[in-house]
Amino acid sequence: MPNLLKDKVAIVTGAGRGIGRGVAMLMAAQGAKVVVVDPGVNVDGSGSDNSIAGQVVAEINDAGGQAVACMESVATMSGGETIIQTALDNFGKLDIVVTVAGILRDRMVFNLTEEEWDDVIAVHLKGTFSIVKNACVLFRQQRSGRVITFSSTSGLYGNSGQANYGAAKDGIAGFTRVVARDMGRYGVTANAISPSASTRMVSSVPDEARELRASRGIAAGGSTVLRGGPDDIAPMVAWLASDEAAHVNGHVFHVTEGLINLLNEPEPVKTIQKNGKWTVEELARVFPSTIGLELYNPAPSQVRE
Amino acid sequence: MVDTLTDKVAIVTGAGRGIGKGVAMQMAAEGAKVVVVDPGVNVDGSGTDSSVAAQVADEIKAAGGVAVQSMESVVTMDGGEKIVQTAVDNFGRLDIVVTCAGILRDRMIFNMTEQEWDDVIAVHLKGTFTVVKNACILFRQQRSGRIITFTSESGLMGNSGQANYGAAKSGIAGFTKVVARDMGRYGVTANAIAPRASTRMISDIPDSAAEIRARSGVETLTEDFDLTNLDPDHIAPFICYLASDFADTVNGQTFLVYGDTISLMSQPRPQRSIYEPSGHWDLEVLSPMARDVLTKDINNPAPPISQ
Repeated sequence: MPNLLKDKVAIVTGAGRGIGRGVAMLMAAQGAKVVVVDPGVNVDGSGSDNSIAGQVVAEINDAGGQAVACMESVATMSGGETIIQTALDNFGKLDIVVTVAGILRDRMVFNLTEEEWDDVIAVHLKGTFSIVKNACVLFRQQRSGRVITFSSTSGLYGNSGQANYGAAKDGIAGFTRVVARDMGRYGVTANAISPSASTRMVSSVPDEARELRASRGIAAGGSTVLRGGPDDIAPMVAWLASDEAAHVNGHVFHVTEGLINLLNEPEPVKTIQKNGKWTVEELARVFPSTIGLELYNPAPSQVRE
Repeated sequence: MVDTLTDKVAIVTGAGRGIGKGVAMQMAAEGAKVVVVDPGVNVDGSGTDSSVAAQVADEIKAAGGVAVQSMESVVTMDGGEKIVQTAVDNFGRLDIVVTCAGILRDRMIFNMTEQEWDDVIAVHLKGTFTVVKNACILFRQQRSGRIITFTSESGLMGNSGQANYGAAKSGIAGFTKVVARDMGRYGVTANAIAPRASTRMISDIPDSAAEIRARSGVETLTEDFDLTNLDPDHIAPFICYLASDFADTVNGQTFLVYGDTISLMSQPRPQRSIYEPSGHWDLEVLSPMARDVLTKDINNPAPPISQ
């Protein structure tokens, strides 16, 4: 058995299915002891099924690896604490957290309900915080640790019908950059993965929304053709979790099939300046021929004047 | 009085002080009727003071403008609905929403409490959603509207001690890009501003956090810039421009604004790439490629301190 992660202890949330499952399986195959966290909810967050996490654990055990199942929800601080404690109780320490858990509640912003907003923010954004904060308490004490979070092209580029998901996922990218800066000095790294893969979460995007977008010519943002499977994301995650990646901190990687991109840091690309306060008339004159020149509009107006 | 926003109706949240106040004042001076939203809380979100919004509304009226104050909090959907309703009740319509409302609760990630997290996410992120969602219902019906949200370099680039604020602010950037895509076809634009200015929010960052940062050699953004001369009022002209009919094709962008400088921020794009044609990497193949190509000499914003 290869041993890139020999004797490491890893928590993987959302590990029951899809990308999380692939990460948990590969980490175990690389020698890590894995806490497989998944309450087994449906894609919309409803229900629960304790066989989901158990199944992945059984598969890991069958392959000669070590794993334990955890049904806790990541959406509360106490859930996050219990998950961390599960790692300590079963394996005596914690080295790696990978936060894949997420749900979808797609809706155009003008129809998006408070509950659809709150639920998605809770699972993705607070669910990342609840695990990472509690892990960081340990990581700071032991002067080592790996944090790998999951962002998305939906937030980074914007994807119609996903204001809640896009907010949560871009929020995770920003959160991860701050954690990298808070924890780097303690020998900890924090990086985010923005995956494209065909999973049940993608297939839950309502056909209606898909058709609406298509019929109305709204740009989807990132690649609309999803290639590859959820297992294609795991190798980069496993590598980032290893000792080899000690120098990689505060970055976002886009991973799809065999392609791995290091994304740029946000930076100013076009600038205008003057001496003193601008007037709106001046901006109306200057902006279109400078910053505004060939500025991309992702969803041009279809309103007839 | 100039008239680039004549007869427009604008909601400005967090308009009692700082950047929001500057935006509300200039929008009124440009001819807009303004709902000045501010419950008058402290920077940490505690307390309320009804005189804060009223004072700005009074200043606008004294200068010959039209304004009404609202004390509603943006953190509930109900609050967002009432704020939008205040515009409709008082001025008959709504054309512009500017969401400046925000609080700070800085803390290193390992010490950050659930409350500090929840409060900051609620005011910034949900507080942006509650106002924008309710505005979008009207904007879609009337086939026009302007949304201007506030993000921050803290989230876009990362600033130590601000995991809650950074998450909220970059979340707003992502939210705004999606709203731009949801609403663009209806003649609505949505853009985000990352401002730098000397306001009370900046001075609230605890000294201890600044000291921790300095001691540990963590890069911070604010230390690189002299904020003392960055008048918050200088953010307003560009906001007014984006809110005007002049900017009807500017949509889905993020702008950095400080002093008299305005920059378009880059969209995320690949800086370096590695590719495995078979589609699936073996770790033995990935390791050297990731180490020697993808991440070679990569910047680490907070390198480990040897003990």
